[in-house]
Amino acid sequence: MSIVTVSELQVFAGDERLMGPVSFALGAGETLVIMGETGAGKSLIAQAILGVLPNALRMEGEICVNGRRVDTLTPAERAAMWGHEIATLPQEPWLALDPLMQAWRQVAETHVHVAGLSRPQAQHQTAKDLVALGLNGTEDRLPGQLSGGMAQRVAFAAATAGRAPILLADEPTKGLDSDRRDRVTRLLAQVPKDGGTLLAITHEASVARALGGKIMVLRKGVLVEDGETSSVLTKPQHSYTRDLLAADPVEWEKSEAPPRGDPLLIAEDLTLGRGGKILIDGLNLTVHRGERIACLGPSGVGKSTLLDTLAGLVAPMRGTLCKADGLGSHAVQKLYQDPPAAFPAHVRLGRSLQDVATVHRTPWDQVEANMVALKLSPALLERRPDAVSGGELQRLSIVRALSANPMVLLADEPTSRLDPITQKETMALLGQLTEQLGIAVVLVTHDRGIARAWAQRVLELGPQPEPSHSG
Amino acid sequence: MTQTNPFIAALAQRGLQAVVVALIVGIVSFAMMQALPGDAAYRIAAGRYGYDMMDAASAELVRQELGLDRPFWAQLLQWLGALATFDLGQSAVYGTPVIDEIATQLGYSLLLAAGAVVVSVLIAVPMGIAAGLRPGGLVDRVSLGISILLRAIPAFALGVVLVLIFAVQLKLFPVAGFRGPQHLILPSLTLGLGLAAVSNRVVRDAVVEAMDAEWRLFARTKGLSARLTLVRHVLRNASLPVVTYVGVQMAYLIEGVVIVETVFAWPGIGHALVHAIFGRDIAMVQGTALALGLIYVALNLVIDLACRAIDPRTRAT
Repeated sequence: MSIVTVSELQVFAGDERLMGPVSFALGAGETLVIMGETGAGKSLIAQAILGVLPNALRMEGEICVNGRRVDTLTPAERAAMWGHEIATLPQEPWLALDPLMQAWRQVAETHVHVAGLSRPQAQHQTAKDLVALGLNGTEDRLPGQLSGGMAQRVAFAAATAGRAPILLADEPTKGLDSDRRDRVTRLLAQVPKDGGTLLAITHEASVARALGGKIMVLRKGVLVEDGETSSVLTKPQHSYTRDLLAADPVEWEKSEAPPRGDPLLIAEDLTLGRGGKILIDGLNLTVHRGERIACLGPSGVGKSTLLDTLAGLVAPMRGTLCKADGLGSHAVQKLYQDPPAAFPAHVRLGRSLQDVATVHRTPWDQVEANMVALKLSPALLERRPDAVSGGELQRLSIVRALSANPMVLLADEPTSRLDPITQKETMALLGQLTEQLGIAVVLVTHDRGIARAWAQRVLELGPQPEPSHSG
Repeated sequence: MTQTNPFIAALAQRGLQAVVVALIVGIVSFAMMQALPGDAAYRIAAGRYGYDMMDAASAELVRQELGLDRPFWAQLLQWLGALATFDLGQSAVYGTPVIDEIATQLGYSLLLAAGAVVVSVLIAVPMGIAAGLRPGGLVDRVSLGISILLRAIPAFALGVVLVLIFAVQLKLFPVAGFRGPQHLILPSLTLGLGLAAVSNRVVRDAVVEAMDAEWRLFARTKGLSARLTLVRHVLRNASLPVVTYVGVQMAYLIEGVVIVETVFAWPGIGHALVHAIFGRDIAMVQGTALALGLIYVALNLVIDLACRAIDPRTRAT
């Protein structure tokens, strides 16, 4: 018998169809992976099943859960199924946990109020859950003190404590480094083995491969290909599926090494920390003209602090940072992870770029030439940051950084919020342009594939031995 | 633990602030009294003996007795020196120790302030939550309109309006003074409405923000009911900005106490301050201003401690 049945599901914004039609049926012990780029409407399917589509959107079609038609129920009736019949794993676990409540309480309250356990039973069960997820020692921490991977596992424990047989996971591995990603993926793969039903949304081929089951590939809301996950991933029929798979950084071709010039930045015996805790100890690093260096390491290891130090924004705890002679104060520029946060929201993009060019006396021709090189249409300059795509915005921030005529570009996870095809394209264009201009790039990434394929040198940062945890 | 306990650090910081406030309030109030036109000795003599009974000779006696002819810095240093031994001096008009006067008045003022805070919480919290749960709804729009209206009316005018309606027309409450609990209602309402006019909007914004948060939806989808989510997660998160804002409002409260006490002839410290200024009773002015300043510091300490109690992040290392 099928547990979740979706027939001819479509989602509209006004008259515009955002997604669909899609149909599928999932039984106990089965897995469906929905794959596609950002904005392909993947999340709309999960939202429609759960009943949390934004008010401005309208759905058509039929959704049945456990043999009961749910899309016609009232919001209150649908909410009554949450936690009991359908569990949801959040996209941003940090934001999904109450910032003021200790980790174990957020799990225990589901045991008490949803599963109906007594308080002592719930405490016992919570302790067991957390140990099973490798979270012992984090019970009393607040979400702000958890790493992204830990927060995702706490969210998993909290979401599934109500013992709902259906689990919806929307981009559960977003922003996690490969070790933590594999850990969360293993957790999800266990759900169907225990008789549950898993619907996972991802853009990462490696996650889809590990989860198995069936797959649906969506592009701009339209189903382009479906079938068994293993066969679709090995023998994709549609060209879009092939592009999507080729965009996985593991598949990237190793880029040619551009010629390396004189040293620009020399860091000696650098010791960095935040809040009194040492993150990086005794690092020596020389950045040469035109070279590409990748800093690889798990979240919280001090990668961003290293970039801030190289940019001169943070003073090192110990050690020295020397700039080559003739390198001005604007010769080191930084690219940020979240492009929308790096642009003023209510200012035209053209204005933002012009201001930087004016300050640095950069001819506008040069800005336009860089835009052409990064395949950006001049029409974008008339828009505001929320009216262009994430990939375009990140390329515009590259143009902006280059308007200061830097010699070194520090890029902090510049593509981690972009979908894979856009990521591949953005990194390729960034590589071409900086090579042409002879600019050195220090890239911070958590993706080993990108680091290996894109940079000549990979600087691996490991966690420092942690002093015994207090508080 | 090598670091100082943050609790002790907060206390020490506020303690230092109290000393600085005492110095500044003393110096500024003294300077302002010096800057007022007229001869202080005549005013004080008039306060002691009445306008009809005083003359140049009695004013001269007052001047000699209080040393008003000394240079102002000598008078100020004397006050500061006495303050260091916790001596606030004597009232120039009544001759009684300032500390005794303040001790009686302070109780009345704290009663009024507490009444005002209770009124504002009783109005602002339910109103703000109701408006915040349905932003843009009827309650939200009506409460916004009323809030703007109330905030735009100065406290003394609002007090007079309330007296006209409830005391003069409806005869529900007494006009002024203090002889029993019913006298507390109109002044508390005057001050409390002014506080609630802004704080209900702060509550509303905090609730809107908490209701939009991803953790709120996650609490719901993991199976908690709407009521449990509100009680266990939303209220606590929303209370943090509200309590912080109440700290900001303390300035309005103290300013309001002075005005409202004067309007309602309330026997508190604000009333005494205004009275002392008219009578050029320098020691009383400095003493009451000092008391108000120190209350401000103490209330901010209470707010600090309340924030620490609500937000576990401030307690973690």
